[in-house]
Amino acid sequence: MKLENEEALDHLIICHKCHTLHEEVEIEDGTKALCSKCGSVLYRFDSKLADYGLALSATGLIFFVLANLFPLVKIELLGHEQFITIPKTFVALFDNGFYFVGLMCAFLIFIFPLLIFVINFMLFLLLKLRKSPDFTKSLLILLSHIKPWSMSDIFLISILVALVKLIGYAQIDMGVAFWTLVIFVGIDLYMSKQIHVSEIWMLRRRLYAQERA
Amino acid sequence: MIEVNEKELMRCNVCGAVNIDRGEVTPCRRCGSNIYHERFSTQKSWAYLLTAMIAYIPANLYPMLITKQFGSVEGSTILGGVVMLWEHGSYPIALIIFFASILIPIIKFLVLIYLLISVKYPIGKDSKIDKHKLYYMTEAVGPWSMIDVFVVAILAALIHLANVEIVAGTAATAFAISVFFTLLAAHAFDERLIKEYR
Ligand SMILES: [Zn+2]
Ligand SMILES: [Zn+2]
Repeated sequence: MKLENEEALDHLIICHKCHTLHEEVEIEDGTKALCSKCGSVLYRFDSKLADYGLALSATGLIFFVLANLFPLVKIELLGHEQFITIPKTFVALFDNGFYFVGLMCAFLIFIFPLLIFVINFMLFLLLKLRKSPDFTKSLLILLSHIKPWSMSDIFLISILVALVKLIGYAQIDMGVAFWTLVIFVGIDLYMSKQIHVSEIWMLRRRLYAQERA
Repeated sequence: MIEVNEKELMRCNVCGAVNIDRGEVTPCRRCGSNIYHERFSTQKSWAYLLTAMIAYIPANLYPMLITKQFGSVEGSTILGGVVMLWEHGSYPIALIIFFASILIPIIKFLVLIYLLISVKYPIGKDSKIDKHKLYYMTEAVGPWSMIDVFVVAILAALIHLANVEIVAGTAATAFAISVFFTLLAAHAFDERLIKEYR
C-alpha cells in the first residue's frame, strides 16, 4: 500500500470490534459506514454534528445538576423520613470509613459522568467556533480515557434493586432527582450510541482543515 | 510517498488512530499514548488479574452488608444475599445479583486467563472462537458487576436510624478492589496480540 505521507493514515480505519482495515470513503450527509466484515458502525457523517452534540451535552449537564441537587428516593421507616442524593451515597461510605469504595463510587457515579459532559460541551463549543485545536485534542484524549469508567446507567439500576430489597419494610417515594437521573442516563446512552469519539476526531479534522483553507 | 505493509498497521487502543507498527514501543502519532508491541506485554495484565482474583476470595467470605436492628447484628455475604432474595420470592433481583456479582466476575477471570494464555501459546489456534468478540463482550458486561457495591452504598446511605442501621461490610471493599483490578487487567490486555498470534 502506498501512502502520500503519514497524515494519510487518518483516512484509514481499523474496525474497533473485529480489527479489519478499511479505507475511509465519503458518505452522504446523515448516513453511516458499516464494517464489511462484522457490520458494526465505522463512522457516521452528519454535517450538524457540532450543533447537535452541543445541544445534547448542554441538556445532559442541566439534568445531571438537577439529579445531584434533589433527593433520589425518600423512605419512611419506623416513623422517620430518610432520603438520599447522589453525593450523599458516596459521602456516607466515607463517613463509615470505607474510603476505597467511597472514592470509587465518587468517581464512577459523579466525577466521571460530570466530566464527560463538561468535556463534550467544551469540545463541541470550541469546534463550532473553530478555536484552540491543541486544547480540543487534549480534551478528546482525556475523553477516550475516562469514557469506559462512567457508570450512571448501572447506578440507576442499582437504585431499583436496592428499593426492591426494602419493599415491605419501608414506604418508598421516588424523588425528583430519580426522574432527572433517568433522563440524564437516557441522554448519556443516546450520545454514546450516536456519537463515537472517532467521529468527533473526524469532525475536528474536517473543521480545522476548512479553517486552514 | 511512503510504502506501508497493511499487516503493519495497528489501531491505537486509546484514540483509535491507525499507526504504523515499527516493531518497538512508539507513541501514537495522534494522542501520544504508548503503542507497545512487545512479547511480554501480557505481564501487566496478568498482575492486575491475579490481584483481582485474590481480592475476590475475601469478597465472598466476608459480609457485604451488615444489618443492625434493635441490638442484634447480622451480616450477609454476597451469596447469602442472593439466597435471601430468592427465598423472599424476588427471583428477578436474585438473578440480577447472582449474574452481576458471582457469574460475571468468574466468567471475566476465565476469559482473560484464556486470552492471556492463548496469545502466548498455541492453544486454540485454529479454534472457531472469535477472540475479538469474546474480549469485546466481556468488556461490555464487566462494569455491571458493580451493581451490588452500589446497592450496598445506597442502602447504607438510606438506612441509619438509631435502632435500625445498615452498614457496608469488609466484602464491599474487597469486591470493589476486585472489580477495579479486573477492569484494569482488561484494559491492559493488548487486543492486538490476538491478531499477531492468530
Ligand atoms: Zn468489523
Ligand atoms: Zn492514539
